[in-house]
Amino acid sequence: MLKPKVISQVLRQATTGGVKATLLLNSEGSPLAFVSESGDRDARVYAAIASNVWSTFEKNTRPLTKENLATGSGSGGGTSSGNGANNALKFLLVECEEGNLAITTVANMLLCLTANPDVALGILKAKTEALARHLEEPFQRVTTYNSS
Amino acid sequence: MKKKVLLMGKSGSGKTSMRSIIFSNYIARDTRRLGATIDVEHSHVRFLGNLVLNLWDCGGQEAFMENYFAAQRDHIFRNVEVLIYVFDVESREIERDMHYYQDCLEAILANSKDAKIFCLIHKMDLVQEEVRAKIFNERFSELKTRSEPLKISAFATSIWDETLYKFKLSCSKSQAQFKSMEVRQANFAAFFDILTANTYVMVIMSDPTVESAATQMNITVARKHFEKLETSHMTR
Repeated sequence: MLKPKVISQVLRQATTGGVKATLLLNSEGSPLAFVSESGDRDARVYAAIASNVWSTFEKNTRPLTKENLATGSGSGGGTSSGNGANNALKFLLVECEEGNLAITTVANMLLCLTANPDVALGILKAKTEALARHLEEPFQRVTTYNSS
Repeated sequence: MKKKVLLMGKSGSGKTSMRSIIFSNYIARDTRRLGATIDVEHSHVRFLGNLVLNLWDCGGQEAFMENYFAAQRDHIFRNVEVLIYVFDVESREIERDMHYYQDCLEAILANSKDAKIFCLIHKMDLVQEEVRAKIFNERFSELKTRSEPLKISAFATSIWDETLYKFKLSCSKSQAQFKSMEVRQANFAAFFDILTANTYVMVIMSDPTVESAATQMNITVARKHFEKLETSHMTR
């Protein structure tokens, strides 16, 4: 069982030092929990944009490896699924005019941080990765429960 | 989850006809082909998701009836969840019908006292329309007094009008393509969702700041647990 209150508390801890909003989204882009300094409405917009950006990149950036081409032509390359997991999109950093955006995965969900433009990309990435590590294990448990 | 349903009543009162219409998709005209039921016909009927009814259609000829109350008494009346007793509204031997009915209730009371009892006053199409309600009410009140201490429900039925079809439709309607719904207001959020094959769940969240996706995910997690409970209950 998820405790939405606790998730929000964890997300709040990351929403400091120029980070404007921290969001946790399911695979469809609906927020599971979020903390935002600029209001709920903005956070939902971030959520929609982040999940859209992520899925677009994921769909269109599958590397043109032999395995991917083989599965595409239907001749079936044995280990393509394992390779696919390795090649899957892991992290997105987007630098925008009004702020920076970091997106990564936690179990089968997305974690998204938006920050002011003066926050350096390195610290934003480090922060996102630290938070993702923290959330990974408990969420892995919920999702295995979901799918098994 | 098998529920034993006894279908009883005097010979020719229409038990098998009714069963054929509801569960075998007969139309009323087809029931003319049906002969008398010999002894007990068992059938398993699956409806409302994965609920299985174990339907015992008990032939109503006197020789069989006597046998149910004597030699087969335990076998027939044990673990009954529902008794459906069918009366022919045109019967000329009401006293005798009542006698069998009361024998039957006695056996139910002794063997499965928690069974639900439904009485159908059948063949209502043979009664003039103006007096149908009056006759039904008379029969129902008599049955109620005769059934003490058990509580019964009664219905006027006929295979030739829409009453049976209404019942049949109500069975299939509950399987409509309803998936889930959510109501969100300032002070609460309510979620309705399919939980297992036989159950729905309603969750009321008093904290509107909790996101819908989080609650839905928790319902999904809970679903696994309840499915496990249900299968373990069924195989018991």
